[in-house]
Amino acid sequence: MSGLVEIQLLNGIVQGMIYALVAAGLTLIFGMLDIPNFAHGAFYALGAYVAFTVVAATGNFWLAIAVVPLVVAGLGLVVDAFAMRRLARAGHVYQILFTLGLVLIAQEAIVLIWGANPTSVDVPRALDGGVPLGVVSFPYYRLFLVAASALVIGAVWLALERTKYGAIIRAGIDDPEMVACIGIDVQLLFTIVFGIGVGLAGLAGALILPIRGGQPAMGNELMATSFAVVVIGGLGSYLGAVVGGIFVGLTQAIMTILYPAASEVAIFAAMALVILIRPQGLFGKR
Amino acid sequence: MTRFAVLVVVVALAPLVLHYPELETQILTFGLLAVAFNLLLGEMGFLSFGQATFNGVGAYVAANALIAAHAALPLALLAGLVAGGASAAVIGALAITGRGVYGVMLTFAFNEMAYYIAFQWRDVTGGDNGLRGIPSPALFGLSLDDATRYYYFTAVVVLLAFAALLRIIDSPFGAVLRAIRENEDRARAIGFRVRRYKIAAFAISGALSGLAGGLYAELFRFVPLQAIDLDTSTNVVIATLLGGIGSPYGPLLGAAIFTVLSNSLSHVWSHWPLVFGLIFCAVVLFFRGGLWGIADRWGRRAAHA
Repeated sequence: MSGLVEIQLLNGIVQGMIYALVAAGLTLIFGMLDIPNFAHGAFYALGAYVAFTVVAATGNFWLAIAVVPLVVAGLGLVVDAFAMRRLARAGHVYQILFTLGLVLIAQEAIVLIWGANPTSVDVPRALDGGVPLGVVSFPYYRLFLVAASALVIGAVWLALERTKYGAIIRAGIDDPEMVACIGIDVQLLFTIVFGIGVGLAGLAGALILPIRGGQPAMGNELMATSFAVVVIGGLGSYLGAVVGGIFVGLTQAIMTILYPAASEVAIFAAMALVILIRPQGLFGKR
Repeated sequence: MTRFAVLVVVVALAPLVLHYPELETQILTFGLLAVAFNLLLGEMGFLSFGQATFNGVGAYVAANALIAAHAALPLALLAGLVAGGASAAVIGALAITGRGVYGVMLTFAFNEMAYYIAFQWRDVTGGDNGLRGIPSPALFGLSLDDATRYYYFTAVVVLLAFAALLRIIDSPFGAVLRAIRENEDRARAIGFRVRRYKIAAFAISGALSGLAGGLYAELFRFVPLQAIDLDTSTNVVIATLLGGIGSPYGPLLGAAIFTVLSNSLSHVWSHWPLVFGLIFCAVVLFFRGGLWGIADRWGRRAAHA
């Protein structure tokens, strides 16, 4: 044991936190608003690219992390207000198809604006270096990523479950007409939830940027894995998305040590297994 | 019936008007894939986001039958058809376990899984480089190693498959699929075994997709990894929606337009998918019947006038 296995497992948790952030947003939008957002990966990619632009312009990665969720959430507000509401009555299939169109637009817009070549930014200087672990060291930035993701995931959960505004949103979902009757703009609430959901994906994109860089297709690659995460965790379950994300990240890491050729397939095999044994997912309600 | 006759005439005359038999063959194979996809979406109301899985399985099986087993072309295509149907029955059975959105996500995720398997399994798929070395097409000793001849062979196979599909859609089986689309619980309450019907529809759709894959493999005597990737699945969805899901002819029209546009526009402006995405979003928001739906409405209005 030279620390390499430990490093690999830690990397699995880092990747898992990214999945958890993305899947939490996905499951929030579906569970609360009943919108299947197939463009979630596109918001993740946009998050990475907006972060790149902010860093290129100001040299300040912290600013990027603060700005990106707001910008991406803003885009989400527009999409929701303009299209998703209109499509609510048409049903899931048309909502999925519309978000598929958004994926096409976003991917090509990224190529048009930022070019087809991969982009990258340096790790912020304050987090240079790492924790020594045997012959290798584990970067501080990755520890920061895990802590920051955990913090945000926890904060969003608290906001939705333990605050007055969260209670209003949940009431609006259970009985929109009643909540509208007491003078609350329910549509606005829903649009804000959509914004929070995609904002989480944007933040994940910004956080991964110093590690993986950005490519125009990064959102598509993430999408299938995120679906596996929410199927395993249970679609609509916030806790399921988080646990599922970390589980999938770790599974990938462990398989990379044991049998790299199957590291991707293993996730989908796990997903198939969950469907057969527990169709509603590990934390899903029937 | 008249529509089908018009289709036969158009397909028969196409190479005489447009002299790109390879492109026209591609339209036919892609059209068959789109039509197969629309059996699930248009008739049964299930959005299969992994149609390339069955296409790819059919292509790889047919190609390997030709390369390794030196099978005759019809046998190889049959093998591709059976394999496509079998893979679709398995994936469909898993996918329909979850209702609605769950099922869509599962077909999507299983497509990605199939892609990774194809990517790794180089002996069978050629991995990244694609599968090469497929022998030139021949039918009972007659060589089809000529783009126009192969076009007509493909045309006959695709039209037969399309006719069979029209028959299936018109049959009581097709009516049950539409009943499931309109109200699944009611269909079950009447006594139909909804699950079996769904799996059967998947098998038929997958079989036709596998056939399309086999025909495609022999066209360029090459199976690229794209035959099984998610982009192809996405393209099937886009082409079908553009053409219109309300009629089996819609997806054929959509496939033709999509294939021609993607071949010509990519030379004009490399960012054409941006425009395509905008058009697609507009179709979803405002013209859900697609081009066929628009043409159909005009036709009816003209008939009334």
